[in-house]
Amino acid sequence: MVNDRGQLYTIEGIAAAMIMLFTTYLVLGATSVYTPGDSHISDMQLEQIGTDSLRVMDTPANCYSTGICATTLQGIVNNLSQPNIPLAPAANAFDPTNPFNVTFMNYVNNKTGSQTDNLHYTANVTYYDIANKTTGSLLLSANRNLSGVEHPVRVTEWVIAYRPVPGDVTLTEPRAVLVEVLLWRD
Amino acid sequence: MRAKQKDAGNLSIDFLAGFTIFMIAFIYVATLIPGLFLNLHAYTIDYNAVAYRTGVILAEDPGMPYNPSWETLSDYDKGEVLRFGLALSDGTTTTPNVLSAEKVNRFFCSTWVYPDDYQSRAIFGNYPYQFNISLQMAGSNVTQSVGGVPPEDYGVIRRIVKVKEMSNATIDPTVTPGGAWHQDYETQDYNVTTHLFSIFVNYTALSENGPDYNNPAYQINPISPMAEGIMVNLTNLQSTINNKTSQPVTINLTSISVYRSRTLPTETGHAPFSGVPTTTDQYEVHIDGNTTSATLPAGVSNNVSLFINPGTLNAWGSWGGGQADPNTYLNITMQFDLNHGAGFLNSTQSQPYGAFDYNYNPVNVTQPVLDDGVMEVAVW
Repeated sequence: MVNDRGQLYTIEGIAAAMIMLFTTYLVLGATSVYTPGDSHISDMQLEQIGTDSLRVMDTPANCYSTGICATTLQGIVNNLSQPNIPLAPAANAFDPTNPFNVTFMNYVNNKTGSQTDNLHYTANVTYYDIANKTTGSLLLSANRNLSGVEHPVRVTEWVIAYRPVPGDVTLTEPRAVLVEVLLWRD
Repeated sequence: MRAKQKDAGNLSIDFLAGFTIFMIAFIYVATLIPGLFLNLHAYTIDYNAVAYRTGVILAEDPGMPYNPSWETLSDYDKGEVLRFGLALSDGTTTTPNVLSAEKVNRFFCSTWVYPDDYQSRAIFGNYPYQFNISLQMAGSNVTQSVGGVPPEDYGVIRRIVKVKEMSNATIDPTVTPGGAWHQDYETQDYNVTTHLFSIFVNYTALSENGPDYNNPAYQINPISPMAEGIMVNLTNLQSTINNKTSQPVTINLTSISVYRSRTLPTETGHAPFSGVPTTTDQYEVHIDGNTTSATLPAGVSNNVSLFINPGTLNAWGSWGGGQADPNTYLNITMQFDLNHGAGFLNSTQSQPYGAFDYNYNPVNVTQPVLDDGVMEVAVW
């Protein structure tokens, strides 16, 4: 009588184990499909905010000249390298009350309503060193250093500089430099 | 006893058949489960994608119809609006993320019905999405929004924008007495009852000689599709009264007339100025801070604000219907009548054409300014 019961119970146990293993496989398999999608969306949102912020920083708030008008971002970049050299007439003087970290953080952290976001960044200016025929980079600003565990996105904006960057013997005409920002959320 | 033990050790054919059918059915159903999970999750992905798409449409597209622009259409004609878009122009390389204040105000106007009017013009798709679109200007606690309260899980996109605020001119004789734009009211015209103050609009100068290489973001453009409004504030009018009698002076704004001319084809001059028919929905007159537009004639105590609605300058400069002629000169004249002869604000002796020149000189006119703002689109 004992052997009769034991055989049937073993098969039920095996069947139940198979069902549990199969269910686990299905759930894990389904999860692995949509996790990359979430990551992509988060990156897209950060890229959009960062790109917009650099873009509006490179748009003059007002303009009274029939020629080109300088921007806040240009003023910051002009102040970065060799600030003792006089600015070209069209250049925007650096506004010390609006350094990059204040202006950029205001843009990326502003939300509608009363709450603010909590984003962090590190920004560099990349340029072409004419004298050495290499690409150089200067730290523009950072509110936190990257430790390696963050998942930042990269946003860029080409900016016209009116002061020489390292490697320029003289600045005969304005030149483009690349402002690069790594942006992440805790 | 032995025969009984042999029987007990075997599985019955019934059990094997039933278990096999059960396993086949179970495997079939189980294979559908991943697809079921993916479908459920796809909506979350879809919410973010729809929010992104709507954010791009609102921040980078001027909407449709574009010329005349959708925000100038009346409530009666709102069925003609095919797509909302708040961007100033379609020149996305010159005005990225720059929104038109007129379009923003029209978009958040209560004459649109949530969600149907917005669903078909900004959200799109067959799925009945719910959404919330909000805009807040920097330094302001006021949030303009349309839509419901987002639930715990929703798709969202945030756009950093600038909003172009319209130009305006404030003429305060106590600040700029005896300016070139008005007659010296202290010494002349002290025995005249009718005084004229005119505003001169040179379409060529405004549409072709704007700041930053005529960038639309800083233009005062009178011509459609970016035809903007203008505003002239006359303040401290009491200070312009030069009364030689003991009888008190009362001021009446009697009429507003519009005259136009344009450059002759030979470019040797321009045609004589002639009257332009106007309607009361083309402009607003706010007297002494009253938020309701006045019906003329109306008494004035001290201040008059004349607001020319967006699109009106295009209509007044249009000689055969449609787009305005860029060679147009416009004269907008406000007629003030006093109860007896006295000196008063009067532009008839100023240049050009006896009028205040509404131009790109920041001394005369407060130029357009781009204000910072943030816009959020939430979809669920």
